[in-house]
Amino acid sequence: MSGPRARPVVFHLDLDAFYASVEQLDRPELAGKPVIVGALPGHRGVVSTCSYEARAFGVRSAMPVSEAFRRCPEGNFVPVRMERYVELSRRVMAIFGDFTPDVRRISIDEAFLDMTGTEKLFGPPREAAARLKARVRAETGLTVSAGVAPNRYLAKIASGLGKPDGLTVVEPGGEEAFMARLPLDKLWGAGGKTRERLVEYGIDTVARLAAFPETALAAIFGKAGAAFLWRAARGIDPGIFADEPKSRSASTETTFERDVDDEATLEATLLDLASQLALRAFKEGFSSRTVVLKLRTHDFVTKSSRATREGPVTGLDELYRDGVRLLRKLWNGAPVRLIGLGLANLDEGAGAQGELFAPEGEKKARVERAVFELEAKGKGTVTRARLVGPGAPKPRGLPPDIDPKERRGP
Amino acid sequence: MKFVCEKNAFAREVSFAQEIIASKNALSVMSNVLLDADSDGLAIKATDIKVAFETRIPVEVSDSGAATVFCDKLSGILASIPEGDIELEADDSKAVVKPTFKKVRFQLKTIASDKFPELPAIDEAAYFSVPARELKDMISQTVFAVSDDETRYFMNGVFLERTDDGLAMVATDGRRLAYVRKHLEATIPEFKGVIVPPKILHLIQKRASDEGLIELAVTEKNLFVKFGSYRISSVLIEGQFPNYQKVIPESQKHTLTVKRSDLVDALKRVSIFVEQKSRRTFLELSGGSIAIASEESELGAAREEIPCRYSEEDVTIALNYRYIEDPLKVMSCEDVSIEFSEPTRAITLRPEPASDYFHIVMPMVLE
Repeated sequence: MSGPRARPVVFHLDLDAFYASVEQLDRPELAGKPVIVGALPGHRGVVSTCSYEARAFGVRSAMPVSEAFRRCPEGNFVPVRMERYVELSRRVMAIFGDFTPDVRRISIDEAFLDMTGTEKLFGPPREAAARLKARVRAETGLTVSAGVAPNRYLAKIASGLGKPDGLTVVEPGGEEAFMARLPLDKLWGAGGKTRERLVEYGIDTVARLAAFPETALAAIFGKAGAAFLWRAARGIDPGIFADEPKSRSASTETTFERDVDDEATLEATLLDLASQLALRAFKEGFSSRTVVLKLRTHDFVTKSSRATREGPVTGLDELYRDGVRLLRKLWNGAPVRLIGLGLANLDEGAGAQGELFAPEGEKKARVERAVFELEAKGKGTVTRARLVGPGAPKPRGLPPDIDPKERRGP
Repeated sequence: MKFVCEKNAFAREVSFAQEIIASKNALSVMSNVLLDADSDGLAIKATDIKVAFETRIPVEVSDSGAATVFCDKLSGILASIPEGDIELEADDSKAVVKPTFKKVRFQLKTIASDKFPELPAIDEAAYFSVPARELKDMISQTVFAVSDDETRYFMNGVFLERTDDGLAMVATDGRRLAYVRKHLEATIPEFKGVIVPPKILHLIQKRASDEGLIELAVTEKNLFVKFGSYRISSVLIEGQFPNYQKVIPESQKHTLTVKRSDLVDALKRVSIFVEQKSRRTFLELSGGSIAIASEESELGAAREEIPCRYSEEDVTIALNYRYIEDPLKVMSCEDVSIEFSEPTRAITLRPEPASDYFHIVMPMVLE
C-alpha cells in the first residue's frame, strides 16, 4: 500500500436495549410498550434490561424489580431468555465479522471493531457504519447504535450519544473538541460519586475538567483517577479497554449505571454474566480451565484475578462458583463500577480429558445442556431460580441447584 | 542458653528445619526455629502449623534454656562458616553465634520460646513400624498423582488406609489414579482411611534412609512419623476421599506388553511435538507393534513405532502424555502392560508380571 499508514478507525457497536428489543421482536404485541426483562414482580431480583418505553418511567437496569414495578406498574415484566439472546447476539456478531476480522466482543450486546484500513472495501467510516447498521436491521430486525472514532474510548462514548439507532462520528483531529462539548455525565468511566466530587470543585463540564492540571486532580482522585480523568477529558484513550493477552479468550462484562456496593447485586450480575458465557461456550464448543474476574471500582482502579482448575470448567455452576470465589478474593467492599467475567486460554474443547469420577459439575453440565436444548426447541423456558427471583438471591449462598422441574410458562 | 557443637551436624538439622518453615516474615515466630538445650542435648523444632518437625542432637551444654531464632538467617550463617566447633548463646532478646576458631560474630534477634506454638504429640504406644524401603516405595508410586486443584482439596493428598494384611496408598487427581498396597508382617492397628498432604511424604522420601524402620501413628487429625532422630507430624486433609474402588476396572478385555524403556524413550522423542496444553498423545495399537504419535500441528508431527506383544484388533487410544510418563518414571520393572477394554474407558498400566501396584488413566477424546 502506498501513502502514510492508515489512520486508526474504531467502531463501537451497541445493540439498543438488547434483551427488551428481542422480546419486542419475538412478541410484536409488546412493540412500543414498556418491557422489563429480569426478575418478575413479587420476587427479589434485579432488572436485566428494559425497553426505552420503560426507561421513560425511570426504570433502569440493575434496579431491584420491586422498584421497577413501583415506577412502572403497567410494564410488561418478562423473564430472561438467555438462549434466544445468545442466538441473536451470535448472528449480529457474525455480521460484524463480515466487516473486519478484528471484532472484540465486550459483552452479549457490545463489540469493538477495528476498522483501520478498510476504507477501500467499505468506503469512508461513516458509510461503512451505516451499511453495517442497515445489514443488522435487515437480517435480525434489531437496531444498533454505532460510535466511530480514532480510539475505543471515544467510540464507546460516541455510540451512547445517539441512542437508540444512533450513528456518531468523531473525526480524527476533532477528539478534544468532541469531548469539550460533552456534559460531565457523558464522561464514560466517571461514576456518580466522581461527578459529585468534580462538581464540588467547580468542574461541571468536560471542558472545565480539561483545563485542570493532572497534579491538581491527583490530589483529589489519586494517581490512577487523575491519569484517567486527564486523558479522558482530552479524548485520549485512557486504556479502559486494554488489549487482552494474545491467547484466545472469551469474556463478558457489565457497567453499572450507579456504582454497586451490595454483594447480592454483584452476585446476581455475576450469575447473569456466567449464563451468557456458559451458553456461548456451549454453543461455540470451546472450553477453558481458567476463569477470570475483572472489577473496576469507583476510583478507576481495575483489578482482575484468575483461577485455574485442573480440568475444564464444566457448565454454568462451576463458572459461577469460581466467579463468586474470585469476587470474594478480589473485592474489598468498595463501590463497583464494572464487573466482568471471562474464560482464558480457550482450547475449543479439543482433546477433552475424560474423568474417572463422574463429577458433580459434569452432571450439572448435562442437565444444563438438556435445559439449553429444551429452550432451543421453544418448549417453554427453564431458567435459573436466581435469575428470575423465586429462589431469592441469598447474599452468601452458592447457587441453588438447577431444578429441571421448575418451568415457567411463556 | 549456651552450647558448643560441631557445625556440620547442627547445620544439617537447621537446614531440615528450614525446609519445614513456610513463613518468610522475619518478625513472625513461625519463621523461627526453636532451640532448646538441656542436659540431654539440643532439641530443634520447626513448624508451618500444618507440619511439625523435631529432632535432637548431642551438644555440650553449659547453660540450659530455650530461644527461637530466624531460621533462614541461622541457616545462612551456618552455610557460610567452615567446619569446626561453634558456640551459640541466646537469651530472650538476642542470640550470638560464633565459631570457636575465627574472629567472626553473628548476632540474631530472638523471640521468646514460649511464643512458639505447641507441637502435636501422641502416646508412644500408638506407633507401628513399617520397613522404610516399603513405605518409601509406596510414596513414590502414588504421591505424584495427587491433584493440586484447590477446589478438589480432598484429592490434594494421598489416601492411606489399612488393608487386611498391611497398608494401601491411593492418589488421584480425578483423571488418573495410582494405587499401591503392601503386605506387612507387623500388625497394623485399626484406623479409618486418612488423606495425607504431600509435604510430609516428600520429607520422608528425601530424608529417611532406605534401611531400617519408619514408625507411624495415625489419629483422626494427624499423621505422626518417626525415623532416625526425627519426629515429624502433619495435619491431615479433612474431607471424603472419592470412592476409588469404583473406578478401578475389575477386568480388562485387551492387554499389550511392551519394554518399559522402549516406551519411555519413544514418548520422550514424540513429546517434542506433543501439544503442550492438552498434552494429547495417541497410542496406535496393531498386531505386534504400538505407535506413539503426537497430534499434527502447524509445527509438524512425530510418530514412533516400537515392538510389543499384542495380537488383537487395531485400536487407537488418546492419552495425556504426562499421565503415562509420570507412572512409567516411578515403575522399575523391565516390562509394562497396558490393559484396556475400550478406547473411551479407563486403562490400566501395570508392571509385567503383576506386582503390588498399578496405575489407572482415563483417556482423552479421540476427536
